[in-house]
Amino acid sequence: MKKAEISILSIFLLIALNSCEKNEDIDSQKPAIDLYIQDAFPDNCDTLYFGETFYMKTLFTDNVQLGSYSIDIHNNFDHHSHSTEVTEPNLDPIKSPVNPFVFIQDYSIPNGLRKYETNLPITIPSGNSVGAFDEGDYHFFISLTDKEGWSVQKGLSIKILYR
Amino acid sequence: MIFLCAISFGQNNYSLSGTVVDKNSEPLTGAAVTLLPIEKGAIVDARGKYTISGLTKGTYTVTVSFIGFKSVVDTILINGSKTYNARLVEASINLHEVVVAYDYAKTRKKEEALNVEIVNEKYLKQNMGGSLMKTLERLPGITTIDIGSGQSKPVIRGLGFNRVVVVENGVKHEGQEWGEDHGLEIDQYAVDNLEIIKGPASLMYGSDAIGGVIDLKNRNLPADNSIGGTVDLSGKTNNNLVGSSISMYGRKKWFFADLRATILDYGDYKVPTDSVDIYSYRAALYKNHLRNTAGKEQNLNLSFGIIQRKFLSRFFVSDVNTKSGFFANAHGLEPRNVDAGLHDKSSNDIHFPYQKVNHFKTINKSEYTWGNLKFESDLGFQRNFRQEWSQYVSHGYMPAVFPGSQGFDADLERQFEKYVYSSNLKFTYYKNDFFQLLVGLNSEYQDNRIDGRGFIIPAFKQLSVGGFLLAKYALSAKSSIQMGVRYDYTHIKTLRYNDWFSSPVISLDNDITLQYLTRADAISRHFSNTSWSVGYNYNLPTLSFKTNVGKSFRVPIAKELAANGVNYHHFSYEAGKPDLSPEVSYQLDAGVEYNSNAIAMGVTPFLNYFSNYIYLNPTSEHDRLYGNGNQIYNYTQSEVFRYGGEMHAHYQVIESLRVGVMGEFVYSKQLSGEKKGFTLPFSPPASMILNVKYDKRKIKSAENLYLSIDYRITAPQNNIVPPEESTDGYQIINISLGGDVKLLNQKISISMQVQNLLNTKYFNHTSYYRLINVPEPGRNLIMNISIPFSGKIK
Repeated sequence: MKKAEISILSIFLLIALNSCEKNEDIDSQKPAIDLYIQDAFPDNCDTLYFGETFYMKTLFTDNVQLGSYSIDIHNNFDHHSHSTEVTEPNLDPIKSPVNPFVFIQDYSIPNGLRKYETNLPITIPSGNSVGAFDEGDYHFFISLTDKEGWSVQKGLSIKILYR
Repeated sequence: MIFLCAISFGQNNYSLSGTVVDKNSEPLTGAAVTLLPIEKGAIVDARGKYTISGLTKGTYTVTVSFIGFKSVVDTILINGSKTYNARLVEASINLHEVVVAYDYAKTRKKEEALNVEIVNEKYLKQNMGGSLMKTLERLPGITTIDIGSGQSKPVIRGLGFNRVVVVENGVKHEGQEWGEDHGLEIDQYAVDNLEIIKGPASLMYGSDAIGGVIDLKNRNLPADNSIGGTVDLSGKTNNNLVGSSISMYGRKKWFFADLRATILDYGDYKVPTDSVDIYSYRAALYKNHLRNTAGKEQNLNLSFGIIQRKFLSRFFVSDVNTKSGFFANAHGLEPRNVDAGLHDKSSNDIHFPYQKVNHFKTINKSEYTWGNLKFESDLGFQRNFRQEWSQYVSHGYMPAVFPGSQGFDADLERQFEKYVYSSNLKFTYYKNDFFQLLVGLNSEYQDNRIDGRGFIIPAFKQLSVGGFLLAKYALSAKSSIQMGVRYDYTHIKTLRYNDWFSSPVISLDNDITLQYLTRADAISRHFSNTSWSVGYNYNLPTLSFKTNVGKSFRVPIAKELAANGVNYHHFSYEAGKPDLSPEVSYQLDAGVEYNSNAIAMGVTPFLNYFSNYIYLNPTSEHDRLYGNGNQIYNYTQSEVFRYGGEMHAHYQVIESLRVGVMGEFVYSKQLSGEKKGFTLPFSPPASMILNVKYDKRKIKSAENLYLSIDYRITAPQNNIVPPEESTDGYQIINISLGGDVKLLNQKISISMQVQNLLNTKYFNHTSYYRLINVPEPGRNLIMNISIPFSGKIK
């Protein structure tokens, strides 16, 4: 009986050890957002201007294939959150929004790329039907995925002002 | 009936039966009768009767024990079927220490074809953690998903959430099981013993029991004409917890009652690091405190009932109230700046964001015995009320300033209110010692309402009805088979939900109109399912073997069918799939256990196949309108293959010293779908505990002394799926010690623990806060003092 016991135990341990080996045929790496390439824009603490168009320049990379990305610009008048960067710009005093600017858009990345540099024109209008947009602190939030569904987020603190 | 085929038994098939009563000849229902060395046993029924069958000729030691009574130990010669009656005398100190449960546990484990763990009150006290599930985490095959120091969810062999059923006093506990940040609403002090079924148990517990069952039982019946209680005082150094639980019980002839009140108050817990990297943002921690993770809990439990010769009926009423803070720098996983001045002023206060939960439960549990028939009914009503509060933040297209008159508070992020009505009926027919038949009928109605500014699951109504038939048949004195079938019908109706704010919808010709989006349509789905299970047990005096094969199922929940919203705790836009089919799982379980005087060892491996595991799949897409620019997570189904198991081995070196090892591991792989080749989310890494335990029955006036050292070795987890991170392995040391001392003739039980002795910084792969790099709690000294008191009613 002891023999049977020991053999069952060793089979069990063998399976256990075997399962610890890493599965090599799947992609387990996240994509990356590089905000520090030459001419990268915007960077943390940069200023954008209402009524103007700027070009978003960022480098996206992945070990297998990139997926898609999205941009979200929303106000940070209450100093609420989401900066993923260590440095913080000097924030204006906390204020209540009246007509804050909101921008949300999702973008595709051409199939099969491991490297993609954006040169995306984004126009910030000076106002909408309600009136002029509020100046001040905003968050510029980038989300990037790869084909497998791994994702990475970057949140920048920026200012949007009237020139 | 397939069981009616005649099987002839040899002469070696005797039984021992009899009655167990107290000095007034009242039956001692629940008392345990155990035969050594074969460790066969029986529990005394409502009539005071017991039967142990399948005995071979020989001399045995018979032990009759019951809480609050002196055990009777006798030697008996079995050379034919015999009767042995016992009359127990009350013990002078009525400590309801569960000596019984130990013997019961062995008996139960041998009779059940599935792998079960039985835990008694002593174990719960000696290993008490921040929550009930945390206390059970030491058991092989059990892990938890934690948020903060007081909230955790059970995970059995890697399956959690709606794949584990928690049953309290016969009724399925219903909260918001799907939520990662929702703990289990149970008063840890009110649980006296519990049973864990590792593996699919849909047969008797219905949908959701696909991963396993945790069956909690409140206090056993008090002895006749007794009165007593316990005062428990608890303290923890890591989060400055102070707590007390006071219970009183009494019984006069046929009426008994039991009351318990628990109060806990704890501060922010401490982690062995001075900063946490949330994404790439580094949040400094003040004095190692995980900001705003304080909490409090107030619970009330009342039970009362009557006991008659053939009839036992108990009512359980409980009210569990908790309020606990979420880590302020990351509400969910969303990084936040905090008002450090406000949050760090005191480590004991709770600010935004926090959750408040109330769980009210009433259960009636009755049984009636009539000849060979036993009828049991468990009826329950529950209300689960959960609110999550956080400061209003205009996510996506929500208005920047909260407009009033929405019917909910601007700062109320989510609210769930669930009403649950349950009824379980069970008939048992004991034909003879070799054949028993069980017929059960379960039904449950859920009404779930939602409120607050965030939408994640719709309101829904759900009716489930199921019936099962289970037969147990002894093939010989040593072996038995169990087989059963079950049929279930479920109807779920989700309610339509429209946003309370408008979003800009862009038409094909680029016109922008503001519309109130419909997040969830009304869905009506009907599901039916057949499940089955066949098990076999073979027991020798020192070796036992069991195996079970079965089909289990799980009906998709409202979130899986109809979620449609942004989970800002995750930066994910989660979309349900209205046409999901019920999850089906096939599992093969086995267990081998060897027990001699000095050595105990066992392995419990399993193989498991899901034909359509329901899974929230992170895609490569983003969504503007419904998802506010977040990554799309879709519910999908895929084939999954899993295997794993647990092992333990203990060696009694000398009478008072025992060394042991326990281990667990699970491997999962998706065989189809978009994540083919990947594992499942929250896969626990392989883990092992090396243990040394020193026990001493008596040193001077101190009794039941113990010192136990656990060295836990956990492997790294590199088998991950988006959005998880690989987690390094770790080693930690936990120590527990205690015993009973006498102070002025009053017995006091002391149990102490030092968790994470070396204040090691490590990460738990299955912690909710793992993704934002919050390490596990640092060194924690836990102290629990339990003062029992008892008396007699004249």
